[in-house]
Amino acid sequence: MKLEINHVSKSFYGKTAVNNFSMELHSGECVGLIGPNGAGKSTLIKLVADILDPNGGEILLNGEKISKMKKEIGYLPQYPNFFHWMTAKETLTFMVQLSGLKKEELKKSIPEILTKVGLKDVGNSKVGTFSGGMKQRLGIAQALLHKPSFIVMDEPVSALDPIGRREVLNLIEEIKRETTILLSTHILSDAEEICERFVMIKEGTKIEDTTITELLNRHSENKFIVEITAKDQQWIHVVKKLPYVKEVEVTGHKVKISVDHIEKNKNLLLQHALEHKVDIIKFEINRDTLEEIFLKLVVQN
Amino acid sequence: MNNLMVLIKKEYTQMFRDYKVFWLPIIFILLGATQPLVTYYLPSILEALGGSQGITIDSSMTAQSGGEVLTTTLGSQFDQLGLMILSISLMGIIQADKANGMLSFILTRPVTVPSYVVGKLVSNYFLSALSVTIGYFVSYLYVNVLFTPIPFSSMFTGLLFYLLWVLFIVSFTTMISTVFHSQGIIALISIVVLLGCRIIVGLSPIIDRVNPASMSKLAMETLATGLVNTNAIINILLTLVLVLFTFFITNYWITKKKFHHG
Repeated sequence: MKLEINHVSKSFYGKTAVNNFSMELHSGECVGLIGPNGAGKSTLIKLVADILDPNGGEILLNGEKISKMKKEIGYLPQYPNFFHWMTAKETLTFMVQLSGLKKEELKKSIPEILTKVGLKDVGNSKVGTFSGGMKQRLGIAQALLHKPSFIVMDEPVSALDPIGRREVLNLIEEIKRETTILLSTHILSDAEEICERFVMIKEGTKIEDTTITELLNRHSENKFIVEITAKDQQWIHVVKKLPYVKEVEVTGHKVKISVDHIEKNKNLLLQHALEHKVDIIKFEINRDTLEEIFLKLVVQN
Repeated sequence: MNNLMVLIKKEYTQMFRDYKVFWLPIIFILLGATQPLVTYYLPSILEALGGSQGITIDSSMTAQSGGEVLTTTLGSQFDQLGLMILSISLMGIIQADKANGMLSFILTRPVTVPSYVVGKLVSNYFLSALSVTIGYFVSYLYVNVLFTPIPFSSMFTGLLFYLLWVLFIVSFTTMISTVFHSQGIIALISIVVLLGCRIIVGLSPIIDRVNPASMSKLAMETLATGLVNTNAIINILLTLVLVLFTFFITNYWITKKKFHHG
């Protein structure tokens, strides 16, 4: 399976939402589309789900236009509404029959998927009585049931409370082993938790496409953070004189130490501290969190 | 074709759950029964209430033929209150799916826009036509008992004409429901335009030719005279063309806009 987004653009009434965007998605990947509000994430998701037509460019699935491959898409909208008068089972049957599956095939698969998303006991309840998290899980069930090549999810957890969020995140974590996922979110910790690969989008343009480890490595600096007790403050003055230490910053008990060649000198510094009998509370390599990197990228670009 | 059946089945399930399959026929039964009953009992009602002094009612003046009474059922009941109720019952036909995002959700499935629209039209037209037919038949039965009998053939031909007008009412309201966003506006526009069409019938033969409401007039003529107007065929064709036109506009609008929510 290969999903190609080739130089896709979309504008509404002259306002550009997605601008010359390209990316590829391969089987088994889980890609998080992240960006600030109004960056064009939802528009891009809708273009992939074939709800909107692009003004330029094309979206291909295995070399075929996406509009001809609708059977292969599982789509979860931002606010899955469903028909409130249908039961969960009826909703699944209805949506999946539209994808061409026969009723007989569903006899087994519907109870299975309901168990998977944790809605087994409410299969015959009206969707109108469901909470946000339950609707989202039902949405995931309907997106998976017809066994599509990949699923696209528009902000699957953004509108949920912490409990609902956790339920849905765990579910995504579970299904991602078997499915290819493209999801959008502006909550970075969620993306960090589920996805290995990120595509950052800002004002409709792709500004980054990378894996999380690469991103963190690229943006990490050669700095340690050492937290020490008050009695060892003198050690700081000794450290300042070490040949490989470039700079020392002190904030309270925290000491930020910049060094050359962090890999080589990390243990030397630790050894040095131990030799001086420094009471170390914490010793870590300073890394920007995803959020800091994100802010840097979004603001600076 | 399979998708179409799934969509039609869904519409009927919804109509059952909303009890629309019950109340719509009941309303038309009431409307159909009203005209012959009121016409028949009006002299006795007036007599009972009015006393013997003053205006006396000449019973021969109110003696109408059965065909005339059934004609007024169509003209005064179905074409007024009936038309409004139909429009109101159909105002959310597409708008509701549009508003809660189900339209775009359904269209992410391999469902074509025409099969979605046809599913809506077929299911809703069938129920509307069935309700009108039942109401009309009830009226016919009362007329046959209380007034002079109507030949079955004129009754049947009249019904066919009238159902064509109902088809236009359904397809037109569906089109308006696709284009506009608020249910109130949809009901208002549909009712005003459809009643307007109905009112201008008879003003000019040329307008009548292209006016789908003249189907209602043809039905009434057939009932009153027992004869079918010779120009009917052109009228029928033009009405069908208008129905197709509303169908294409509905399709075009959904395809072009590619509705999205939020």
